[in-house]
Amino acid sequence: MTPAARQGGRLPDRATALAILAALVCAAPVFAVAWIAVTGETGDYLAHLARTRLPVYLVNSALVALIAAGGAGLIGTVLGWLVARTEFPGRALFSWVLILPLAVPAYVAAYAWLDLSQAGGPLHAATAGLFPTVRGAWGAGLMFALVLYPYVYLLARDTFTGQSADAYNAARTLGAGPFSAFARTSLPMARPALAAGLALVMMESLADYGTVSYLGAPTLSIGLVRAWSGAGSLVDAARLSLILVAVALIVFGLERAQRSRARSHAASGRHRPAPRFHLSRTQGLAAALACLIPLALGLIVPLARLGWLALNEQPAPGLLPASWHSLTLAAISAVLAAGLGLSTAYALRGRTFIATASARAAGLGYAVPGAVAAVGVIAILSGTQALIDPAWQSVTGEVFPVLLTGGAAALIFAYLSRFAAAAIGPSEAALARVTPALDGAARTLGATRGETVRRVHWPLIAAGVTSAGLLVFVEVLKELPATMILRPFNYDTLAIIAHNYASDERLGEAALPSLLIPLVALLPMIFVARYLSRARSSSGQV
Amino acid sequence: MTDTHTRRGLSIRGAQRRYVKETAALAGADLDLEPGRITALLGPSGSGKSTLLRAIAGLERLDGGEIRLGDTVWAGPGRHLAPECRRVGMVFQDYALFPHLDALANVAFGLKGPDAKSIAMAQLEAAELGHKAKAFPHELSGGEQQRVALARALAPAPAIVLLDEPFSGLDRRLRQELRERTVDTLRRAGATALMVTHDADEAMAVADALALMDQGRVIQTGTPEHVWTHPHSVTAARLLGDIEVIEAFIRAGAADTPLGQIATPDFKNGCTVYVLVRPQAIRLTLAADAPFTVTRRRSAGTHLAFTIENAEGQSFTTHTPVPSTLAVGDRVSVTLDEAFVTVVGA
Repeated sequence: MTPAARQGGRLPDRATALAILAALVCAAPVFAVAWIAVTGETGDYLAHLARTRLPVYLVNSALVALIAAGGAGLIGTVLGWLVARTEFPGRALFSWVLILPLAVPAYVAAYAWLDLSQAGGPLHAATAGLFPTVRGAWGAGLMFALVLYPYVYLLARDTFTGQSADAYNAARTLGAGPFSAFARTSLPMARPALAAGLALVMMESLADYGTVSYLGAPTLSIGLVRAWSGAGSLVDAARLSLILVAVALIVFGLERAQRSRARSHAASGRHRPAPRFHLSRTQGLAAALACLIPLALGLIVPLARLGWLALNEQPAPGLLPASWHSLTLAAISAVLAAGLGLSTAYALRGRTFIATASARAAGLGYAVPGAVAAVGVIAILSGTQALIDPAWQSVTGEVFPVLLTGGAAALIFAYLSRFAAAAIGPSEAALARVTPALDGAARTLGATRGETVRRVHWPLIAAGVTSAGLLVFVEVLKELPATMILRPFNYDTLAIIAHNYASDERLGEAALPSLLIPLVALLPMIFVARYLSRARSSSGQV
Repeated sequence: MTDTHTRRGLSIRGAQRRYVKETAALAGADLDLEPGRITALLGPSGSGKSTLLRAIAGLERLDGGEIRLGDTVWAGPGRHLAPECRRVGMVFQDYALFPHLDALANVAFGLKGPDAKSIAMAQLEAAELGHKAKAFPHELSGGEQQRVALARALAPAPAIVLLDEPFSGLDRRLRQELRERTVDTLRRAGATALMVTHDADEAMAVADALALMDQGRVIQTGTPEHVWTHPHSVTAARLLGDIEVIEAFIRAGAADTPLGQIATPDFKNGCTVYVLVRPQAIRLTLAADAPFTVTRRRSAGTHLAFTIENAEGQSFTTHTPVPSTLAVGDRVSVTLDEAFVTVVGA
């Protein structure tokens, strides 16, 4: 009965305008890709590709995504349940530390693990060749599982924490044992959340370029980058993009189908949070070990190995400018994405159709792999160029500067298109704590609209908005394929030089830039992890 | 602090508020709040009570009508005074305490100047919550949160205090205790208050004046006793508790009902009326060949509820003080206490 919509005024209107901008930034590249793909001239590259490499790309994509989802699903669900429902040594610490592998790009984990496990590597030597070499589709899937499981873990942990004990207890009184009661009540009730986590894991693995390229499991993303940088055909790249987007939409469609049933899975009646099981000493240690293993495999071992390699190598030239580029790109994208995300969240408060539609459209961007976003940005820039050029020339008699050399700006456009949507959800969750009644209370106590934002809204949402921005910061720092496609000539980032050296089999020189990415990402990731764990326990909602 | 309160009444005339694609939330509501008195606004959910409260606070714009405090127009054609300029204190249904501020900072939110902290502390101490000054809202019990919310609303010495279902989240015992406490606090502050509720007993227990609301209009005002005994309409009567509604035809200056004849000096012969009978009005007497039979006997604590039925199958509910020897199957005759009977036009 009392939505904030009716409060009217300038703030929501400005927010709606920015929400529309966010939607345009996020969705425009996809639509540009679709336009180019449909209207472009038919070449024989795609027909040739369909006869030769396309089946391999498709099979690899499916394998990698399924192995990643299976592994991350298993790790994330088990750890989420352990942390949410049992008490064991180190539980409070593991609760947020388990999120940190998100700071490690999958390709960085791949560099370390291939180096450890290949013939001549220490793991290969120590196990007399018994330890299989991490490569191919299964190796790539495993790497994704190790660094992406936090997506599933986070959602599983929060769902299991929020679940009422009643369904589980009812199952026990009806004769089910603890395990059967879990499998028949808690797990199915958590299914929509787990599906959302798995969809994210599959999306990220489909969008990856560095890992599958290094471990030799060419997926659709590889085909896409080759079509652009090898064959130089925007139309063919756009058509491959459409296939990739279609796969992504299928994944998210399945997830949404799960989620639409979420309402029926939600606990009914009074909410009674479940008490945690107290594990015996042995069980407790086993639980702690279960948490430690994925943490070691996804975070500690890769970083330690790369650190060791880096110590034995001279720092590669160009590291400083590349670090600077990485940091500034990530920082600018983070601030812009947080701003757009917060504006969209404010607009959504008004519950208008235009705000909801904008948020949906912006969310579409998140389903779009980085390489596709990059192709979309190229399509938009070259399309704009084609529109401006003749007019410009007829008026000024000179040639209009080439837009594609806009460089960093084009990169940030692609990053925002891919990641701005990721900032909407957290901002919305943070703003949900600011109920319309809080606004009313502040206003009737004499605070103006501006003072209300400053004294009530900002203290309540600052941490949430900051972690939304930091999340984008980390993602941009790790991003590789869009950067490869769009970067200006001789413009390197940490991810680019790491990838270039690693592809040249110069892992020693790749080690330091590879290590710097997770090291820089770790601090913001700790902030995000602690925020996501604290918000949960204090307010009961994220 | 009392002398700082403006001793001016609030008057609302023809307040209208319509949401897009919805029926009118306010359809021309009139209401007067007398200075220093507590008025309860009672109505079913969706009757527009909360909207009217929010309109007074300035959180809701009127589409028509006027709200004024003394000579100052708060809302009217082309005028909408911002909420922060109205000096109203509001207690929200979920209290709306600022979760990032402790109890003291919550109470001090609306205060300015160097002695803000000490005024806030005095308010908290008056609410017997001085020892909780540093506690954050989630560390307070529901009752304590309500008391902080009231202290916060009263701290800036508002012209009007508005309370939106202030006890709805509490259990019954606490509710009663807090209700008395709140009334005491409001009286001590000499505040002009308007409290929204959908609980008739609560409304009658706290209020100096009662305003009944239905479908966006204030349908009756008056003291609780008067409104209870003399409802203007069937709706008004039903809002305040159980009532038997009997449709009757007037003949020879009286309405003919199964419960007996009711004198109707204000109505013409030949018209149809509703006779409204509170269950307390029906007195039962054991009599061998009486028209009614007791069909149900139920204990309700302070009284017994009997259901009686006549040969035509018409049944009525009565409230009889305990103890009573009547049992199911007994034949009873009926007399009416006319103090609890009202006749309204159909």
